[in-house]
Parts: sequence; C-alpha cells; structure tokens
Amino acid sequence: MTPQVQAFWIFVAMACLVAGFFLWVARSTRQAHEVNQDAARRLRRNFFYSLTGLLVIVLALTLRHMPYPVPTERPERIIFVVGKQFAFGISSRPIADDADWEAATYSAPVQIPTGAMVEFRVSSFDVNHGFAVYSPSGELLGQVQAMPGYVNRLRMRFRRPGIYHVFCLEFCGMDHYRMRGLFFVVPRTNTQSHTRSLLAGTGE
Amino acid sequence: MPLPVAGDGLWQEGEARAFRRLTLAWMGTMMFLFSTMLLLGYFMRLFQANAFRTMRPEWFYAVLTLHGLGMVATWFVGGMAATGYLLTRYSRPSIWISRLALAGTLVGAGLLAAATLFGLFGTGWYFLYPLPFYSSGVWPPWATGCFFGALALLFSVWTIWVLDLLRAIASRFPLRQALGWHVLSGRPSLGVPSFVLVATVSLIAGAAGLAAGMVLLGLWAVEWLRSGYSNDALLMKNLTFFFGHIITNITMYLGVGVVYELLPGYAGRPWKLSKALAWAWNTVLLLVVLAYAHHLYMDFAQPRVLQDTGQIVSYFLSVPAAVVSIFGGLALVYAAPMRWTLASWLFFLGLMGWAIGGVGAVIDSTVALNSRFHNTLWVPAHFHTYYLMGVVLMLLGFAHHLAVDLTGEPERPAMRHAILALLAIGGYGFLLAFYWAGAHSVPRRFAAYPRELSQGVAAARVAVVFIALIVIAVALYLWETARRCWRAFSA
Ligand code: HEM
Ligand SMILES: [Cu+2]
Repeated sequence: MTPQVQAFWIFVAMACLVAGFFLWVARSTRQAHEVNQDAARRLRRNFFYSLTGLLVIVLALTLRHMPYPVPTERPERIIFVVGKQFAFGISSRPIADDADWEAATYSAPVQIPTGAMVEFRVSSFDVNHGFAVYSPSGELLGQVQAMPGYVNRLRMRFRRPGIYHVFCLEFCGMDHYRMRGLFFVVPRTNTQSHTRSLLAGTGE
Repeated sequence: MPLPVAGDGLWQEGEARAFRRLTLAWMGTMMFLFSTMLLLGYFMRLFQANAFRTMRPEWFYAVLTLHGLGMVATWFVGGMAATGYLLTRYSRPSIWISRLALAGTLVGAGLLAAATLFGLFGTGWYFLYPLPFYSSGVWPPWATGCFFGALALLFSVWTIWVLDLLRAIASRFPLRQALGWHVLSGRPSLGVPSFVLVATVSLIAGAAGLAAGMVLLGLWAVEWLRSGYSNDALLMKNLTFFFGHIITNITMYLGVGVVYELLPGYAGRPWKLSKALAWAWNTVLLLVVLAYAHHLYMDFAQPRVLQDTGQIVSYFLSVPAAVVSIFGGLALVYAAPMRWTLASWLFFLGLMGWAIGGVGAVIDSTVALNSRFHNTLWVPAHFHTYYLMGVVLMLLGFAHHLAVDLTGEPERPAMRHAILALLAIGGYGFLLAFYWAGAHSVPRRFAAYPRELSQGVAAARVAVVFIALIVIAVALYLWETARRCWRAFSA
C-alpha cells in the first residue's frame, strides 16, 4: 500500500470515529439529564493531554522525514529541469535559454541508473509549474515547485527501472493538464540494451 | 427572538427593522450566489467525468476561477453578515457600511463573472503570480483589468466592513476584554459573551489578511504600470497564501462564532466565556497568521525554518479547535434538553464537518506526506469538507434560524429529514470521491485526466451522482428557507 493510501484509510477510520462520537452525543439528548461539570472538565483535560501527546509523537516521527536536500549528502547525478507553458525540458545539461529548453523537450529522455541519488534542479521560464514525478505504475512519488527566478533542488532515488512520467502540479494555464515530461530509470548495469528495450516498448 | 431588540437603548424601532431587512438581503444574496456557484461546481465535476468532450478547457478554467472565488466570497460575506446581525444584541454595527459592503460585493461579483465568463480569465482562485500576465492567448488584457478591479473593490469594502464590526465591538467592550485577557488573568468574565471573543479574533485576523491582500494588489499594480519592474515570485506566493489562508480560515471561525451564540438557545444551556476558551482563541489568533506556511512546503527555496514552523503550527492549531470548540459543542449538547430543528442540526453537523475536515488537513500538513498530497485532489477534498460540510451548514443554519425567527412559521419535520439526509449522504459521498482520488495521485485542477490517471475519471463519475443529491437538498432547503426570508423581507 502506498503511503497515500495508508493515509486515506487512517483518515476514513478517524472520520468514522468522529462521526460515531457525534451521533452518540446526538442520541444522548433523548434522555436529558444534568451533567457533572467536574467530570466534563476532567474529560476535557484528558482529551487535551492525549491529543497534544499524540501530536508531539507524530511530529517527532515525521519531522525527521523532510523532503529537503541534506547538505552533507552528495548527489550522484544532476538533472536540469525547466518548466515553460506547456512542457518540461529535462536534460543532463544546463538549460539556459529557450533554445536549450526547446532542444531538451525534443531530445531522447534522460536516463537515471537505479539506486542513484539524483538531484533535479528545477526552475521555470514563465509562470509557476509543479514538477511531480510519477512511478511507472502511476504513483505520485514526490514533487517540487518550478518557480521563475528560483532553482529548487529535489533529490530522489529510484529502485524500479521503467518509464517515469512527470506531470505539472501547479496550475499554469489552459493546457496545464496536458503539460508533462518523461525520463527513464535503467538498471545500473546494462544501461544501453535496457534503454533500447524500453524504447521498443518491451520494458516495464 | 428577533434582533436587533428595539427599545433597549441601542436601537430604535425603524433602525431595527432596517437592519433586519438588510440581513435578509444578505441572506438572499448568500443563497443566490451559493446555488449558482454550486451548479458551476457540478459543471466542473461533469467536465472531469468527460461529459463535455467537445468543450474547450478554457471554459473549465474560467469556471474554476469563478467557482473558487465566488464561493470564498459568498461564505465570507455570509459569515460577516451573520456576525454583524448577532452583534446587534450588544452594540451598533453601522447599517450604512453594511449596505456599502453589499453593493460592493454585488458589483464585485458581477465584475468577476464578466472577467471569467466573457473574458475567459482563468488563473484559479488564487491568481498565482505571474500567471495573470501569461494568458497564452486565452484572456484579453481587459479581463485581467476587470478581475483586479473587482478584487480591489471587494477588498476595500470588506476591509471597511471588518473595521466597522471591530469598532462596534470596541465601543461596548474594550478590545482587551473582548479578547478575554481579563479572564486569562483570573478575573470574572464581566459579561463578555464567548461569541464576541470568537468574532474579535476572526475580525482582527481578517483585517491582517485583507491588508496583505491590498499589499499584494499594490505589487501587481506596480508591475503592471511600470514596464521593466518585476516582482519576486516567492514573495508574491507568500503574500498570496497569507491572504488566502487567513480569509478562508476566518470564514470558518465566523461560522463557529455563530454556533457559539445560537446553539446554546437550542440546547437550553449557556456556552460561557471561560479561561480555557480565552486561551484557545488567543492561541488561534497567534497561530493562524503563521499556518499559511504549509502552502509553501513544496517551495524548497523557502527558508527552512518556515517549513518546520508550518507543520508545528498547523498541528497545534488543531488543539484549541478540537479541545475547546468541538469538545465544547459536544459537551453543550450531551444529554441536554435539546430542541432539534433544521437550524440546530445544521449547526451540529457543521461542527462535525469541521472536525472531519480538520483530520484531512492535519494529514496534509505533514511535510513528509505533503510531497505526495500537495496539489492533488486531497487538497480540495479537505477544504470542501471544512466548507461544504462545515461553515456552509452553519450559515445555512443561521439563515434558517433567522427565517423561522422572523416569520414565526414552524418548520416541517419531513422536509427537515429529507434535507439533512440528502445533504449528509450527497456531501460525504462527493467528498469521499475527492479524498480517494487524491490518495490515488490524481492532481487537482485538471480539466481532463490523461490516460495514466484514468482513476480520476472514475472518481468524477461517482462524484457526479452524489452532487445530484446535494443539488436536490439545496433546492428543498431554498424552498423552506428562501421563501420564509422573502416573506419576512416584504412584510
Ligand atoms: C456541491 C458543492 C460543490 C461542488 C460540486 C464543488 C466542486 C468543485 C470542483 C469540481 C472543483 C475543482 C477541483 C479540482 O481542482 O479539480 C472545485 C474547486 C474549488 N471549490 Fe468547490 N465545489 C462545491 C462547493 C464548494 C464550496 C461550498 C466552496 C466554498 C468555499 C468551494 C470552493 C472551492 C474552491 C476555493 C475551489 C478551488 C478553485 C481553484 O482551484 O482555484 N466549493 N469545487
Ligand atoms: Cu505547468
């Protein structure tokens, strides 16, 4: 199960819990009676401590998994990405101007070896775009904004070889939903022949 | 009991009547705009279900922009009008400023409709810099001008309105007291209603948000008028989300304030200002201005400290909401001699929607997960929960409360059951399709889904069925409420 789908089920479970609690309270009004104020206050205090405790624990667990680059880590490959209405130029060489960008959108997709730490250096030549990487099975793996005037560095590692699609995840105009890009992840050994099989459509 | 109460020294009979009619006009505007924007939402989900294969995507995006801004505006003014009305129990909000705001809102809404439907202006509701300047040939410059003119008008009249309500509060309670600071230092509440505290917090935050909105418009204008000057995209994004986050959040809080004031009347118990309540809402005031940072998690150029703050603040903002407002609302109702009517059910279900939307929001505000949820349909999923099943229900509850109060016409239980059941089933079904699609990597704001993301089409098709139920529920609600409002207005 992907992390997103896990989160979905956690959400559904908690939403049911909340709804159940509300319905239980609504039913309690069938037999009205006085409520012990001290008990209510104690309950609220306990709720406060348990909720705060839970949040602190989840914060401690999740704040360590930030998607931001760690300065001590060195990327193995650097890939340059520039968004422009309505395509992504993705290249292993820097994209400095419109001609570079044009060339990058037409040339063969870049190849990234499995397991390598890649750094995508992402920017934009016009409006904000969103550089979002999708696995060969269509799962959103990670993303970063492509912003004019800034270079955002997204580091990722890919285990599975195959065709990775890029979709635009920041609204950028009428063809936003058609704005995309592509790269290959290939087994670290045997790079050449695998690419050939991918291009011939026999890969994953 | 209808407000304003004439003859208690605050209001004279004629003024009281005028204020009531004005509030009814606001409610009529709210219901009219809501039903139109709702149909636009239906149109978009049908579009995503591939119901209009030959229509150009420009239409989808123009409608997206109008629906988003239109809905945000509708519920903000609805919350303000309800708050202003309830404040007349304690003070004197200006009738003329509220009229000015109504006129400004109507003209502004008309200009927005013109820019989007005639000009095809389609940047999404938060018009992220510099998209309005890059129309790729879709919208003409006049549409951009019309759009920004509309925003300038709306922000101006709303700022005046917000400041006037704060003035009205301050003329009765010193702002220190309205913020409950005396209660924090252990003194008795001095008759400050908890509703006034909630309203004060919302209005102060709202003024800050609108100020940021004005600065934002100013920067846009400078770039537009002075060729060669260009703004910093990251700064503009920070301002945009500061404004957008606050305006949408305080709309929620204005609705919550209404529930604080009116639900006790149905529960037969008071909801008094306590130390916990004062703590909670002062915490909200402090944190709500920082929480916007969670919209920029995927801007890796943003200073890292703002990213960490974003998650911590977003997490802890849920504590006062859950422990004081939601728990407080439940404790108010628990085993109470409750008078269950359409209005009180809507308040109660509104609190529930707020709680459920909050769960979705906290999940999304986790940076580690936001990498996979940012700008997917999870985002509209959680804010539609807050809105459609939260503040919308609270304010529809308010309008119904008002309509029954002013006409004295009792409601029909069969209608009540039908409306509530259709709203709950339709609403949560519609939302679940959003959440499910978001969890399956479907992006938001896609007019149509590429082959690789065909699960998006499946979700849209499911949603369309549930939206039909919402449309029926809203039609029944209007039949019950809008008619009563009209009768009270023309009486
Ligand atoms: C049954 C009622 C509603 C329906 C069917 C509906 C439908 C939709 C749809 C299909 C979208 C586009 C989702 C996407 O990004 O792909 C959307 C966006 C949006 N809706 Fe609604 N909606 C409803 C109610 C509301 C309410 C009550 C609000 C209150 C504020 C609201 C505010 C928005 C906003 C702000 C957006 C984002 C616009 C943007 O991305 O620029 N909607 N809605
Ligand atoms: Cu784009």
